[in-house]
Amino acid sequence: MRWLASELHTHTLHSDGRQSLRELAAGAAKLGFDCIALTDHNTMSGLGECEQVQQETGIVIIPGMEWTTFYGHMVTMGLQNFVDWRKAGRSDIHEGISMVHGQGGLAGMAHPFRIGSPVCTGCYWEYEIRDWNDLDYIEVWSGTFASVKPENQRAFALWTERLNAGIRIAATSGRDWHEQKHTDEPLSVTYLGLDDEPGTIAQQAVRALAQGRASVTIGPVVTMEAESGGTLYGIGESVSVQNGADLIHLHVKIDFSVRQTLWELPEQDFSLKITGNSGTLAQCAAGSTDQIYEFSIPADGHIWARAELWGIVKGMRTMIAFTNAIYIS
Amino acid sequence: MMLLNVAGQLDPSDSKRHITYGFQLDQPAAVMRIRFAYWPKLLEDDGQAMEFIMESIDSYVAPEHQGPIREGWRRYLPLKNLITLSMDDPNGYRGACHRHDAEQSLFLSEQEASEGLMPGKLALGEWNVMLSAHAVVTERCSYDLSIWTEEADTA
Repeated sequence: MRWLASELHTHTLHSDGRQSLRELAAGAAKLGFDCIALTDHNTMSGLGECEQVQQETGIVIIPGMEWTTFYGHMVTMGLQNFVDWRKAGRSDIHEGISMVHGQGGLAGMAHPFRIGSPVCTGCYWEYEIRDWNDLDYIEVWSGTFASVKPENQRAFALWTERLNAGIRIAATSGRDWHEQKHTDEPLSVTYLGLDDEPGTIAQQAVRALAQGRASVTIGPVVTMEAESGGTLYGIGESVSVQNGADLIHLHVKIDFSVRQTLWELPEQDFSLKITGNSGTLAQCAAGSTDQIYEFSIPADGHIWARAELWGIVKGMRTMIAFTNAIYIS
Repeated sequence: MMLLNVAGQLDPSDSKRHITYGFQLDQPAAVMRIRFAYWPKLLEDDGQAMEFIMESIDSYVAPEHQGPIREGWRRYLPLKNLITLSMDDPNGYRGACHRHDAEQSLFLSEQEASEGLMPGKLALGEWNVMLSAHAVVTERCSYDLSIWTEEADTA
């Protein structure tokens, strides 16, 4: 499977960014990305140059828009037509999400716990959510060196809590990238697993996110497959277990070859964890070479599992990468 | 030809409110121009700003992380008013200009438009311009908004 290195939250001069789409895409290419979602605030006018910039830079551009409202920011992507962001009151975001879905788009919470108005207007999510199945994803890592920020740790915990409640919802990173400015802080990448179904790469990427086929990292990409009853299941899929006493075998692969020279982690023993609804299910030490790790977990009592890679980054022990969930039913 | 020329005044209770103005485009035009300005942009009173910031920290930051963020409250200065503009022509949305500039001179035409707005035919009929007051932090915030068209030869 091809894993597309994606940056899913960006802005240009068409809203409050300080870069043209061309500069943004060229900058993304330099940083080893294959794909960006253009998610300007409340407008899709920046997509006018989309085709040309894709051709010039080789960067796949997913059309999108960040609903930048009084009660929350909601990233939408994969839709061709505008959906009106201005009508949503605090208790009717579901109508907005339905309209986004009606246009073939996905809707995700952007930086749900960033400080809100008036410091950052509408940045904190205050919309009432009546049905979590309606939202496609949560941007759990926002900004640079995202994993150490308390607001992102809250978003990550929210995602885990929703998974524990039986909701199938994806998690992504987004830099909320406004300008071409160098940073020494680690950049997050959301890798989207492309299928072989018809459509453009942008459409395959949107479908990957819709199906939860995503893995997030500041360095090596971690992917996982589950094996049960002789069948293999990928990230985002649901393992069907015949007998509660069965074991599920997990094959977790760490690939250090991605975006080579564009990220750096100190030589160390990493810690690879399998997490699920009952907490840490298994863990082992992992080195800095490409390898596949095998785990077996009991199917009984588990509804989801993900892999997490932990280690020391800039002197801090933190999460380095995580897969989206494999579900168990 | 002048299509709309309005002014208004907002206060903090207008935060999170949309203000819509309708206007008619009755004659074909080559370019529509929009000038929008509001002032003041910044809340200069640090005491007042501190109150707003502390309220935000109380509402939005997890209790266990509030301490250091309260201490560093000055990093959120200056607080700003933010009013953004979006447009609708008789057939639908024509884009938004979500940015912090307190003075914006914008235009729309068939081939080109200011960033945030969408080029396209200037259809005759009822248009709307919406001001979205994301935040008003100063005691008073004044704005003025004018929209006019130009003929082909003056464009």
